[in-house]
Amino acid sequence: MVTPSGWLLMLPELWISGLILLLLFLDLRWQGRPKSPLGLVSLFGLLSVIPILAWQSSLETQTLLGGMYRIDPLGLFFKWIFLGTAILVTLMARETASSSHPADRFGPDEGEFYLLILTASLGMFFVASAANFLMLFVALELITISFYVMTAYLKTNSNSLEAGLKYLILGSVASGFFLYGIAFLYGSTGSLSFDKIRITLQNLSSLPPTLLVGLLFILGGILFKGACVPFHLWVPDVYEGAPTPVTAFLSVGSKSAGFLVALRVLFEMFLPNRPQWAFLLALLAALTLLYGNLGAIPQKNIKRLLGYSSIGHAGYLLIGLAAAGNHLGATGICFYLAGYLVTNLAVFLVITAFSKQGGSDEMADYAGLSRRSPFLAAAMFLALLSLAGVPPLAGFFGKFLLLMSAVSEGYLWLALIGAAGVVISLYYYLLLVKTMYVDLPEDSAPIPVSVPVRIALIACMAGILGIGIWQGPFLNLSFAAVKNLF
Amino acid sequence: MTLNHYLILSGILFTIGLVGVITRRNVIMILLSLEILLSAANLAFVAFSRALGDLSGQLMVFFVMIVAAAEVTVGLAIAVVLVRQTGKMGADELRGLKW
Repeated sequence: MVTPSGWLLMLPELWISGLILLLLFLDLRWQGRPKSPLGLVSLFGLLSVIPILAWQSSLETQTLLGGMYRIDPLGLFFKWIFLGTAILVTLMARETASSSHPADRFGPDEGEFYLLILTASLGMFFVASAANFLMLFVALELITISFYVMTAYLKTNSNSLEAGLKYLILGSVASGFFLYGIAFLYGSTGSLSFDKIRITLQNLSSLPPTLLVGLLFILGGILFKGACVPFHLWVPDVYEGAPTPVTAFLSVGSKSAGFLVALRVLFEMFLPNRPQWAFLLALLAALTLLYGNLGAIPQKNIKRLLGYSSIGHAGYLLIGLAAAGNHLGATGICFYLAGYLVTNLAVFLVITAFSKQGGSDEMADYAGLSRRSPFLAAAMFLALLSLAGVPPLAGFFGKFLLLMSAVSEGYLWLALIGAAGVVISLYYYLLLVKTMYVDLPEDSAPIPVSVPVRIALIACMAGILGIGIWQGPFLNLSFAAVKNLF
Repeated sequence: MTLNHYLILSGILFTIGLVGVITRRNVIMILLSLEILLSAANLAFVAFSRALGDLSGQLMVFFVMIVAAAEVTVGLAIAVVLVRQTGKMGADELRGLKW
């Protein structure tokens, strides 16, 4: 078997680029014809990235393109997360495209939607492999600009347009912060390459003011992507207004990309100077946890509720960043994101299947879901328990690792706030469970679930149980991904 | 003109851009302020690049200009569709989603 080297290292990205061109061509070629086959092309194209990634999975760290592109265990771990997200989101987009709500349908623009999912995934893959701030910035912008278009995709729905515009304005400000931070980092270290910056920073005993300003601005950009306080204002609005597949993609893909950049910047470069930033992150983690979980309580719209819960989850991930002194925090972040992928996408798959049959996003509409579709209700129940962090599900062990890391770094108060967050979140998740299982439905017509969604949901449920019960192998994978950072 | 002069100018531009995004209520003006924000970062890059005698900062600026153009294109496209849909151009009219 050939070992990947040279351009073959970039095969996943080149493959997705080829897929984008193919889709663009077919979309133009099939003018006026139904575009749903394009979804299948995109789905199978993404599925065929799985063997390519598996082929590359045993590689040691290597660089390409003059040090711009680097393949390493952390990048590969996140590429698996991005790929899984992209596949499930494409599946949801196929469901949404044939929704019974005319306002939710993409109509003749369906083909381009699959294209935008692919461009965003391409950006994520490049973020995972960037080893230079130039590459990182362009890749991040490729993700966000694709998301701006996808958020505002429903041209006849003013909520979607409003969400798109708000996301664009706040997102561009965050990009401006990020870029300004890079400028200062570049000015004080003289390089844009991660490796060179790391070596320069290792020789500093404490950070000079210009570097500190640069780090704070860069953190602003990262916290925006990860949906953390104080850059969280866009989250509830955009989650509610965007089409459901986009919300799902934002909540898992975009958040993972943000935390991957955080791991790269904070752990790879600024680790020796952590006394100067760790406490700030611990404080932000506490605020994010409280804001997300308390804000979720009064919500009536399920996508808005998930927006606030997504802020809460960002708080747990921030704990891992604040506990930078040991491996537990970074390992916990990777483990948590893997669990979050299967759990949160299961919730969004249920929402997609439910709203396809004319159900709205209001939580009251979910009344009696257990009578209308026991399968959907059971999947939702399991996923919500995992989101809240009930043992033995995937969400529990991730939270456990992150809280442990906080305790071992001496942030006992932070761990207590995290534990309080679990209790609060259990309240609002169980309210939804009560609506599904106890309340009586207004319309008791059964909800059909299409075969692809059924398969994806079973896979997600298997993931939730599997990651939760057999933590060992997943823990080893997460640890292998982050051990080079230290 | 030393490096500090350029950095102060870039700081002023950044502040103008940020204040513009926050206070302006017209979508076009907000997009314009965003461009000023990104230009401030570009100026800082070029100034640092000259002071360091290293070209990669100037290289970065080209990419940033392209990205900024793409961003404002998408922004204007959304604004046009929004005006067609609601007939209004102000950010105050965007109240469908509660904060």
